[in-house]
Amino acid sequence: MELLNAQTLARLAGVKLRARAVVEGVLSGLHKSPHQGQSVEFAEHKEYAPGDELRHLDWKAFGKFDKYYVKRFEHETNLRGILVVDGSASMAYGSGPMNKLQVATTLAGALGYLLVRQQDAAGLAVVAGDAVADVPARAAAGHLSTLLDALDRVEARGTTDLFSAADRLAEKVQRRSLIAVFSDLFDDRQDALKRLLQLRARKNDVAIFHVLDPAELSFPFDDPTLFLSMEDERRIEVNPREIKQSYLEEMGQFLASVRAACAEADVDYELVRTDESLDAVLLRFLARREEKRR
Amino acid sequence: MTFLHPLMLWGTAAALIPLLVHLFDRRRPRPHPFAAISFVLRSQKRTASRLKLRRLILYILRTMILLAVPIALARPVLASEAGAARAAHGPAATAIVFDTSLSMRFKDGSTSLFERGREEARDALKDLLPEEPATVLLCGARAEPPPSPIFDRGRLRTMIDEAKPGYQGADVSRCLELAARALEESPIPGKRLVVVSDMTASAFRLDAPPPQVKGPTGELVRPEVVLRDAADGRKVLPNRAVVDLRIEPAQQSGPRAFQITATVRNFSPEPANDVEVALKVDGRVVAKGFLQLAADGTGQKALTYRFEQGGTAFGEVVLQADGLEEDDRRPFVVSVPRELRALVINGEPSSVRYRDEAFFVSAALDAPGSPVQQTVRDVEAGFREKLEDYEVVLLLNAPAPSAEDAKRLTEFVQKGGGLLVSMGDRVDPDAYNKALGDLLPRPLRLVKTSASREEAEGEGKAARLLEIQQDHPVLAPFTGRAREGLMSARFYKYMLLEVDAPRQGKELSQVLATYEDGAPAIAIARRGKGRVLLFTSTVDRDWSDFAIRTSFLPLLQRFLSYLTGGLEEREELRALVGESITLRPADDRRPVAVRAPSGAEVELRKNDDGSLTAGPLQEPGMHLAMDDKGQPIPQLSFAAQLDPTESNLARIDPDVLSSHFGEETVRATARAGERPPVPVWTWLFVLAVAAFFFEGVLLRK
Repeated sequence: MELLNAQTLARLAGVKLRARAVVEGVLSGLHKSPHQGQSVEFAEHKEYAPGDELRHLDWKAFGKFDKYYVKRFEHETNLRGILVVDGSASMAYGSGPMNKLQVATTLAGALGYLLVRQQDAAGLAVVAGDAVADVPARAAAGHLSTLLDALDRVEARGTTDLFSAADRLAEKVQRRSLIAVFSDLFDDRQDALKRLLQLRARKNDVAIFHVLDPAELSFPFDDPTLFLSMEDERRIEVNPREIKQSYLEEMGQFLASVRAACAEADVDYELVRTDESLDAVLLRFLARREEKRR
Repeated sequence: MTFLHPLMLWGTAAALIPLLVHLFDRRRPRPHPFAAISFVLRSQKRTASRLKLRRLILYILRTMILLAVPIALARPVLASEAGAARAAHGPAATAIVFDTSLSMRFKDGSTSLFERGREEARDALKDLLPEEPATVLLCGARAEPPPSPIFDRGRLRTMIDEAKPGYQGADVSRCLELAARALEESPIPGKRLVVVSDMTASAFRLDAPPPQVKGPTGELVRPEVVLRDAADGRKVLPNRAVVDLRIEPAQQSGPRAFQITATVRNFSPEPANDVEVALKVDGRVVAKGFLQLAADGTGQKALTYRFEQGGTAFGEVVLQADGLEEDDRRPFVVSVPRELRALVINGEPSSVRYRDEAFFVSAALDAPGSPVQQTVRDVEAGFREKLEDYEVVLLLNAPAPSAEDAKRLTEFVQKGGGLLVSMGDRVDPDAYNKALGDLLPRPLRLVKTSASREEAEGEGKAARLLEIQQDHPVLAPFTGRAREGLMSARFYKYMLLEVDAPRQGKELSQVLATYEDGAPAIAIARRGKGRVLLFTSTVDRDWSDFAIRTSFLPLLQRFLSYLTGGLEEREELRALVGESITLRPADDRRPVAVRAPSGAEVELRKNDDGSLTAGPLQEPGMHLAMDDKGQPIPQLSFAAQLDPTESNLARIDPDVLSSHFGEETVRATARAGERPPVPVWTWLFVLAVAAFFFEGVLLRK
């Protein structure tokens, strides 16, 4: 399989094309829903063992074989996926061909594409400041276009306020939804991530796509630089060589703390570098979920 | 401080460059919108104080580099203030008194005080103004008046270069007096004495007046005195020394065993623990011990060694080395008794042992540690023995020998044998005089009875010894209680002797001890190469109770040692460095040279009485007397010792010295004021390179 690199992807205009390109690169791995839906299809019998639900006992089989069997079903899904894209001003940063927002929207579009293609419902929530712009979740095939158009229109602005966004999502999102968050998680509020992860406690399936630029990870600056904040008026003049070691330590601690928090909350975490192949990111994500489901 | 190239100092302005760069380098940093600015801010906050310090250090290092290089190029020198002062006083005729005493051999680290003193003397010479004449006096034990002050610096420098430290003390006060006389010969009014010394107290006589010099008009003036301390102001020069050795036979440890007792002195205000004392024989350590020495204290260590063979042996006691190694060893020469074969001719044998004439003699000669191997025979069998097989013959209360036996005995003695004759009832004076008249120290006369044992008060009337020649080697050890043991012996009968008349070809006899009536008790004489000792009483209890006295055993052994020539060989052969020693060679082997430890020959002079005087001895250690064939003569070899007083390196207080010479005349007691110009630029370059290196290290971090 040939993966799309960031340069190639950047040449494609608009989220639609990019998302499609990404999806085409992904194996058509259809996921199995962990949830039981409305239309069920009998799959097999299994001999009863203590702990099995009594309501699934097949009394007819008991009549025939004088043994307890439990019916097992395979369900087609009706999964609801909410794609949460961080649209704060910091997402506009990019040292490569694509900035973080472009990567986030492309990934969200690709994931939405996959969901709709499987007749799952996909919705969108764009977080910019404390505002959450919604595209309600639907499974109709024509909904994909609405979704991708909405992603195409996202602009980076305002500050990152994941805390408030998490509160609003909690109110709106029904239970047992897949909530995929695409953000750099640069929120100065200490408990913002915690709040976001609490969505998992409400029995939602939460996945974090932590989108970071390589320059943010490696701090490759040499000359004295005046760093300007992208979300407020903060600025600082430093000699990057003098603080590089300390910066890398801070960043390392930040990444480690996010990973640890996600692991603790049983949330899928995916670090996405803006210079890496996005279909590989999606494949990695899907493979991990498949493994987890088993 | 002065500068050889002062114009280069303008370069120090470059030291302002880092400051100017800091103040005016306002390059606009590139603005860069950055999403992770919170991390940048936190990092900056975390490292701010460290970065500030680092920048400060970098600033200092760069300034140092830019300062050090131009200053170094300006070639700064630390000029001597003393030199400036000297120029202000005008030129002076100078005498450099260089202490070459033993104490200057003290090593402080790897350099001796003497070498430091040599450097000081050279510096003193170098510091002289061109118009100042100078002279050099090497101040040793025998300091000679120095030559008149001259301008030939090369000659003076050679004198200093060729100077060697001595092994004796020096009288610096006397040397200063000699130097002051030499300065009087210079017409220059200014006079200066430069003292290069370790300033040990023993070198100065503070009771002597300070040196004065006659000026051009005859008036006495005090010369300027410059003190150059070779010990560099050290308060103490700690030293330990072997100050004495006592060597005694240790008969309890067997024949040829000696106990060597070393007295060690600690010349230091600090105690010394576990000081190693080693006994070396023929260059090999044979015994070792440790001493605890109190501060300024003395300790003794006795080491015992049994020599492997008789004869003259050489050894030394060596201390654990300290600053002055020369006094950490003390050599010695010891005469180890040879195995003696003695023929005891028993004139009155008896089956009752204590009545046997030879009973007490045999017991004495068999005592532990005795080197004597005796053969006891009666008269008849005794004279049948081959006398050549023995070194000494003891004739104990024996009848006079036949003419033939007397002839054999005489030949035996003439060839170097020893003969001891003791009296008794069987001795007939006339027959003895006839047979052995030429051999005996003196002819026998008659037996005198001083008291009878049977008498009630016989014991009180019995004769005792009155006078003994304690300066003779045979009786030298009998002092104190040993002497009492000898003097308390009672003699009931003894043989009177005829007066010793000089006769052709015969040496006069010597009386070593007399009875209360003046009659000889012990008489000795040399006959040919041999010796004869006559004891005028009995060696058993017939005529005296001497045989049961404590002094009997050691005296008999001394008799035999004397008779075989083993006694007087070493007694007087002890010498101090700086002194001379008299050697009394045997006729058959005369020394033609005496060789010092360094190989140098010691001056040897013949005396009227046939003896030789060697010396004055210049160095400590073993001196070998050499015969005309170039072979050493062990009997005449000797060890020269250092004067223990020279081992005391206590230093004189500089203030005391200053007040002695007159504080207004003493110029520089500290080295710092007298240092020659010190080149500083090398260190400045080193500093710049070091600063450059550390700047690089900081920048890499």
